[in-house]
Amino acid sequence: MEASEVSIELYVLLSAILFIMGTMGVLLRRNAILIFMSVELMLNAANLALAAFARQWGNGDGHVMVFFVMTVAAAEVAVGLALIVAIFRTKKSIDIDDLHLFRG
Amino acid sequence: MELWLFIIIGAVAIIAAAMMLISENAIYSALFLILNFACIAFFFLMLNAAFVAMVQIAVYAGAIMVLFLFVIMLLGAERVLPEAQPRFRWLTPAAIILALVFLAVSTLAIIKGEIDLTRPKLEEPMVRAVHAVDGVPAVDVYLDGEQVARNVAFGEASSFESRATGRYDAQIFPAGADPETDDPLAEYPVNLVPGVTLSLAAIGNAQEPELVAVTEDLGQVDDKDALRVVAINALHGRMAIDVVDDTDSGNRRALVENVPYGKASDVIEIEKDTYNIGVYPAGSSRTRLMGIDDEDLEAGTAVLWIFTEQRQDDNSYTSTIVNLETDARPPFGSPAHVGQLLFSRYVLPFELVSLLLLVAMIGAIVLTHERLAPRRRFVRRLANVPAGLERSLPGETGD
Repeated sequence: MEASEVSIELYVLLSAILFIMGTMGVLLRRNAILIFMSVELMLNAANLALAAFARQWGNGDGHVMVFFVMTVAAAEVAVGLALIVAIFRTKKSIDIDDLHLFRG
Repeated sequence: MELWLFIIIGAVAIIAAAMMLISENAIYSALFLILNFACIAFFFLMLNAAFVAMVQIAVYAGAIMVLFLFVIMLLGAERVLPEAQPRFRWLTPAAIILALVFLAVSTLAIIKGEIDLTRPKLEEPMVRAVHAVDGVPAVDVYLDGEQVARNVAFGEASSFESRATGRYDAQIFPAGADPETDDPLAEYPVNLVPGVTLSLAAIGNAQEPELVAVTEDLGQVDDKDALRVVAINALHGRMAIDVVDDTDSGNRRALVENVPYGKASDVIEIEKDTYNIGVYPAGSSRTRLMGIDDEDLEAGTAVLWIFTEQRQDDNSYTSTIVNLETDARPPFGSPAHVGQLLFSRYVLPFELVSLLLLVAMIGAIVLTHERLAPRRRFVRRLANVPAGLERSLPGETGD
């Protein structure tokens, strides 16, 4: 494999930036679906780092990990969206500030 | 060029992520997230991860985001009504400060950490055994008393096995022999270094067997129409040989020249084609000792030829060619590469992930299932209650 112009640090840095943006989305948004999308963004940031390290070490294991992360993300989205739909049925809202069962 | 591409696409990815975060409408957020995923798929391509890039587009940007958009439209939840005051007002500045601190720390760790990232890791050495000893039906091969291959028949090869780096004594035994007590047919010291692929070829005859270690190159063949060939001279006459491309009898071309007995030729690359291969005594083109005719050689393979002879009952020798073809390693990150890994080292995790998907599927059904069954049972019980009483019963009024 020929050396690349773009060093791995840049990829990892970009991955860190995207991960932090995903974290901010989880913390700051109140729409449950948007929180979910932010989690997807975080997973993708992690995938980017995995693929970058796989290239760095010339080892395909990282790609397999990315594949597994995508599969787990698909499973998580299926269950998570089912939860949101179920909550929406009872609460008529997906604002997470409305989802407090205990008053306090 | 590549750096500029990285900067531009990286900027698009970050802007798309930021727009996703600040869009009030969830539909726009989802569309910006798709743009962000497309950028990441592009990065996967830049990182030689072709298969992952395609899965990213198809599964993530395609299937998962379609599911998101569908649920958003189904629930009509494009926007959460602006509430007069969020419940946690202190959360916004706290989250931003923490994020900036985390970014600063990770940047410092990445840039100033002086982590040694440049050392490329070579793959573990691989070894296999090839049996071409005349007069021995099958052999076992051991490395320092540890079995590499068992019961390899004449003209066959065992599959490649990875072994730890180091020096070993390769030993070859008749099949079924006990390495502790029996004497080996032949011994050969081998040095396994990372990244090397070794074929231990046993040649000769039952009286004088020899082991030849051939370093094969299973790495990716750069030219997509080429394949690699290596030849071993195991002729009982012990003369040096030339291996000649006889396909066009007017224009013969020596593939490898002057291979002495018991030695392997250099690894050569040839174009894929249908070949007639002839073996001649070194320097002579008159007596064709043996040959392989109309041999289809496929691209992307590594071929090992062992030219040997077998003694017949009437003490004459017939020439035999052991012809072994191995697929060269698929290119890094290609579907074949990821598939091979998934079906070799990662079978169990793959099964577990499949199970997880199945559980998620059942979970989604259970969670969104209208709970009809218990309600129906309740109604059936109601029928036994005397008229007039049912209204006073607590419970479901139906919605």
